[in-house]
Amino acid sequence: MRRKLGMVFSIGWIMGLVLLSVLGPLLMTLEPSQPIADPLLSPRTHPPLGTDALGRDFFSRVLYGSRWTLVAGSLAAAITVLGGTSLGLAASVSVRWIDRFLIGLINAALAIPGLLFALLLTASMGPGFRTVILAIGFGLVPGYTRLARAIFLQVRHEEFILAARSLGARPISIAFRHILPNGLRGLMSLAALHFSWSLMGITTLTFLGLSGDPSIPELGALLNAGRQYIRTAPHLSLIPGTIISLMVLAVYHISDALD
Amino acid sequence: MVPVSDRPRIRILILLLRRLGTGFLTAFAALTLTFFILRLVGSDPVDTLLAQGLTSLEQAEQLRKDLGLDQPILNQYASYLAGLFQGDLGASLYTRRSVLQSILEQFRWTLELAFSGLVVGILGGLLLGISASWWRESSIGAFAATLASLLTAVPVAFLGIVALWISSKTPTSIPRTILPTIVLGITISGPMARLILAHLSESLEGPYILAARARGIRRSFRLLWHALRPILPPLLSLIALEAAFLFAGTVVTETVFSRPGLGRLMVRAILEGDYPVTQGLVTLAALFYTGSHIIADWLALLFDPRLRELS
Repeated sequence: MRRKLGMVFSIGWIMGLVLLSVLGPLLMTLEPSQPIADPLLSPRTHPPLGTDALGRDFFSRVLYGSRWTLVAGSLAAAITVLGGTSLGLAASVSVRWIDRFLIGLINAALAIPGLLFALLLTASMGPGFRTVILAIGFGLVPGYTRLARAIFLQVRHEEFILAARSLGARPISIAFRHILPNGLRGLMSLAALHFSWSLMGITTLTFLGLSGDPSIPELGALLNAGRQYIRTAPHLSLIPGTIISLMVLAVYHISDALD
Repeated sequence: MVPVSDRPRIRILILLLRRLGTGFLTAFAALTLTFFILRLVGSDPVDTLLAQGLTSLEQAEQLRKDLGLDQPILNQYASYLAGLFQGDLGASLYTRRSVLQSILEQFRWTLELAFSGLVVGILGGLLLGISASWWRESSIGAFAATLASLLTAVPVAFLGIVALWISSKTPTSIPRTILPTIVLGITISGPMARLILAHLSESLEGPYILAARARGIRRSFRLLWHALRPILPPLLSLIALEAAFLFAGTVVTETVFSRPGLGRLMVRAILEGDYPVTQGLVTLAALFYTGSHIIADWLALLFDPRLRELS
């Protein structure tokens, strides 16, 4: 019961954030990139969350920031899930040497600690917002592939696979008709887990200033920008930080419940 | 595969050596991957220098020759490996200083932070995990378990900023040097506590706990000795795996607190496109990471007789 309640809250919070960040520009008449009042105002009736160091409306910046983070996190997670699922499926049904080769490649990538692998990809492509998405998306592929392959291998040892094979089904059709659909449940939890990691990864890289363009109000970038005003205007970093944490926690919780 | 001997001592030795062998292969594959990702995915580093106006066209040609970038990729790979075995990681594109030397200079700062953070993290994780297990039935245990999963989800950057904010509010100033250690320790303690709790709950179901209880051994002793002792080998492996969290944690913590160290060196190298520095740092980190995994598996093999039977 408590678990169900947590799930409802988590889904509600994520849906609310998505709605707010989609509808935000319709509700807000204020521009996130233009100064509207004195700089570093604390939260008050108007503007509701005060202003940043350049006097821009912080509420609309946070709304736009949530949108950037959610979109970037979803794109990265999409890369991870698509790439990892196809590689995992390929490894689990193909001949032994292909499986061995893929596993070797994955283990090599996993010998480089996660964030460092993403940093390596960022370095090879040069800093930029697109790079950050690609680096996190591809950076999570090796770990996802390993887990997805384990799920597929488990399905592969079921008896209905043997039955399909003895009826003469081709490996491709076994992979897509039988192994993939039966592994879906496990994959959903895995995908949610990797979505929470991609949100965490994206905000970490943008916090480190690797998104190149400082004018993009992404939550990690806002967190970094607010850091130097921690004494005078703590809300500038505490609000984006809290939103990121709750976002990651909610998605993490959903993945836990799906498991 | 080397056949595993029946004699126990030789058997262990073979298992340990086999682990060393696979670890060596993995590290080698990781180095190869690092080299090819940096060289094949990205743009030409000298072009980046040209675009920034840091070098002229004639100098660029000379620079390419000096760096060996005009050579075929496999020759470059061979000279990278040859350099690596001689302890030569190349020189920075910007400062022309030896990469190994700049890494060694910054290493002390990161080591200090990582080690003290790890100690705080292990202690915090044990404290949190054991209290969650001890007060399992009451709300204190639920609180400890929730806190542990909360800490897993909070980004290090945000935790650091909250620590800065709290320290700016307190009348007596907390020394700035211990703040990064505490922040790093807290982030490590989250996942650590969750795993300790999971392992402890499983271990407490074991028949040896029932046996200890039948012998009239106190609950505290049962938890801290009988249940905790068998989970120490997996915990050792876990601590080695924490090296990954540790690295991510130090990169971010160094940025939050504007501390010198390897993480800052890495971020600056990426922003400047200084690929020899990035390559050197990733290479060393991969070696360190695989090394700590080998040691963890060795310790597990030595402490847990069951693993020797299985493998």
